[in-house]
Amino acid sequence: MAKKVLKPLRWLRLDNAAKIYPAARRRNWSNVFRQSVTLFDDIDTEVLKSSLEIVVRRFPSIAARLRKGVFWYYLQELETVPEIREEYSYPLVYMSKEEMRKCAFRVIVYHNRIAVEFFHSLTDGTGGLVFLKNLVAEYFEQKYGIEIPYENGIVDRKESPRDEELEDCFLKNAGAVPASRKDTNAWHMYGEEENNGILNLTCFRIPVKNALELAHKYNATLTVFMSAVMMQAIANLQKEKIPDIKHRKRIKLLIPVNLRQLFPSNTLRNFAMYTVPGIDPRLGEYSLDEICAVIRHKMGAEITAKHMSSVIATNVNDEENPFLRLVPLPIKNAVMKAVFDSVGEKKSCLTLSNLGKVKVPDEMAGYIKRFDFILGVQADAPYNCGMLSFGETVYINFIRNIKEAELERHFFSVLRQLGLSVTVESNRDER
Amino acid sequence: MYCIKCGVGLADTEKKCPLCGTTVFHPDFDRVNERPLYPEGKLPKHISNSKVVCGALVIIFLLPLVICFFADLLYNGVVNWFGFVAGALVVGYTALALPLWFKSPNPIIFVPCSFAAAVAYLLYINCVTGGKWFLSFALPVTGTLCLIVTALVTLLRCLRRGKLYIYGGASIALGLFSMMVELLLCTSFGFSFLGWSVYPLVALLLLGCLLIYLAINATAREIMKRKLFF
Repeated sequence: MAKKVLKPLRWLRLDNAAKIYPAARRRNWSNVFRQSVTLFDDIDTEVLKSSLEIVVRRFPSIAARLRKGVFWYYLQELETVPEIREEYSYPLVYMSKEEMRKCAFRVIVYHNRIAVEFFHSLTDGTGGLVFLKNLVAEYFEQKYGIEIPYENGIVDRKESPRDEELEDCFLKNAGAVPASRKDTNAWHMYGEEENNGILNLTCFRIPVKNALELAHKYNATLTVFMSAVMMQAIANLQKEKIPDIKHRKRIKLLIPVNLRQLFPSNTLRNFAMYTVPGIDPRLGEYSLDEICAVIRHKMGAEITAKHMSSVIATNVNDEENPFLRLVPLPIKNAVMKAVFDSVGEKKSCLTLSNLGKVKVPDEMAGYIKRFDFILGVQADAPYNCGMLSFGETVYINFIRNIKEAELERHFFSVLRQLGLSVTVESNRDER
Repeated sequence: MYCIKCGVGLADTEKKCPLCGTTVFHPDFDRVNERPLYPEGKLPKHISNSKVVCGALVIIFLLPLVICFFADLLYNGVVNWFGFVAGALVVGYTALALPLWFKSPNPIIFVPCSFAAAVAYLLYINCVTGGKWFLSFALPVTGTLCLIVTALVTLLRCLRRGKLYIYGGASIALGLFSMMVELLLCTSFGFSFLGWSVYPLVALLLLGCLLIYLAINATAREIMKRKLFF
C-alpha cells in the first residue's frame, strides 16, 4: 500500500497588530470579537458543519490555532475542523489559552443564528466578515442549492488561498518616519462588576434612513455622527458622576480605521489602525455640532495614507528592532503586558467600531434577517461598542461587564432628543 | 412596545427594559412569548483558573521542604534547623501562592494573613532560640507594618480617587515606621541610638509631602505629567 504523504500544516507569523493580543491576555479577559448572522430559518447544523469544512481550508489565516515559538507566537493551520457549539450562555465567553492552542475561533449556533467569535490575533472586523459571509454562502449553496456569485466579499471557496490574503500589510506600508505615541489619558467609566464574568449586551436598532438624514444635517458621516452621539452620552454621564467641572477628564473614543481603504490590500489579516478624537469637558459644555466638528477634523487630518504610514512605522520599528527580536517570548510577553497594563487602554473611554454597510449578493439577501457585530469588553474599562448596518437598519451593540446600564440610557437620551426612533433588545431579561 | 418609564422602543423579546429595568406591561396586549435573543441563566461550562499553576507552586514549595527535612535528619540525626526552613517556606507560600487558589483573591484578607504567618514564624524562632525579643520588637514592628500595608491596600481598593493622598500618607507612615524600628531596636537589644532612621524618615516625609502637594495642586500635577511622560 502506498504511504500517505501528509501535507505539512501551513503556519504564519502573527501580523504586526496581532502580536500584542496574546501578551495582553489576562486571567479572565482576552481580546475576542463576535460577528453573527441571523437567518429566517433555523440552522441545519449538519450542513453548517460540512460548509465549515470547506471554508476552513479556504481561509487558513483565520481558521487557525495559536502556537508558541521561542521568540514569537505564530498561527498554525487547523488539522481538524472545530466542533460547532450550541449557544448556552452570554456571548463572548472567555477564551482560554488551552482553547486558543486548539482553535482560536468558535462557531456557535443558536436556533436561526450563526455566530463566529474570533481571537483578534487572527483577523480584524473586515477579515472576520469575509469569513462569515463565505461560511453563510457555502451553507446556502449546500442547503438550498442556489448559486452565489463571487461578489461583495464572496470568493470561490474551492480555490487555494491567495498570497495577498495572507500577507502582513503593516510591514509593506510602514513609512520612514515614526509618529509619536504621546497622547492624553481619557476618563474611564466604572460600576459594580457582574458576578462570574457575565457580560450584558444591549442592541440598539435604528432605521438607516433616519440616521443618515440626521447625520447629513450635521454634515457628518454615520460614523462621525454616532461617535459624536456617544461622546455626548459619555459627557452627560460624566457630568452626572463628577459635578465639579474642574475634576472632569477628557472624553475620547477609539475609532478603528480600515487601512484597506487607504492602501491597496486584499489581506484578511489584521490591517486596521485607529484614530482617537476627543473633547475636554473642562473647557465647557459641547454641543453635538461642536463634537461632530472635532471628530470630523481629527479624522480628516489623521485618516490619510501619509499619517497612517507613520503610525504603522512606530509599531513596525519596535517589531523589527534586532535586540527586541532576540528576546525570548516569556520576557517579551511580560514586558508587553506591563506596557499594555500601564498604558494600553488609558487613552480612550471605549472603542466604537463601525463595520459600515454589510453587502451581500442578492441571492443571499433574501435568506438573511440581520448581521451583528459585537466587540469584547476592554481589559480595564467596562464598555465597548460595535456597529454595522444591514438592509434598512443600523445595529449598535453595546457590551458591558457592569450591572448598571448608565451609558446606554444616556446614549438613548441623546438619540431621543434628536428625534431618532430606537428599538432596544438585550440578553439579560431576568434580574 | 415602549418602555413606560424611559420611552425607548422595546423588541418583542424583552420582558424588562434593558435601560431602566422597568417590567414591560401593556393592559391591552397579550404578549406572545418570543424566543430570547440569547439563552438566559447559564454560566460558561469552564472558566479558566490557575489550578495547574497552583499545583506547580505547591510542588516548588514542597520539594525544598522535603529535601531539607531529610538533609537535617541525615546529618544531625534529629530535626534541628529544619523548622526554620519550613517556617520560611510556609510564610513565602502564604504570601505568594495561596491567593492564586482563589478566583478573585481579596488583598484586604490576604495581606493580614501573610503578616500573621510572618508573626507566627517569628514567634517560633523566638521560642526555639530562647530569645526575649518577640513581644518587645518583632510583634510591634510586624504589627505596625501590617497595619500600614493593609490600610494602603484597603484604601486603594475602596476609594476611586485620591490615590496621591493615599501614597503620600503611606510614605509618611513608613518614614515614621523607620524611626519606630530604630527606637525598638535600642530598647529591645540595647543598641545605642545612632539616628540612622533620620535619613529614611526625612526622605519619606519629603516624598509624602510632595505627593500630597501634587494631589492638592492640579497645575503642579500637569507639569509633572508633562515632564515625566514616557
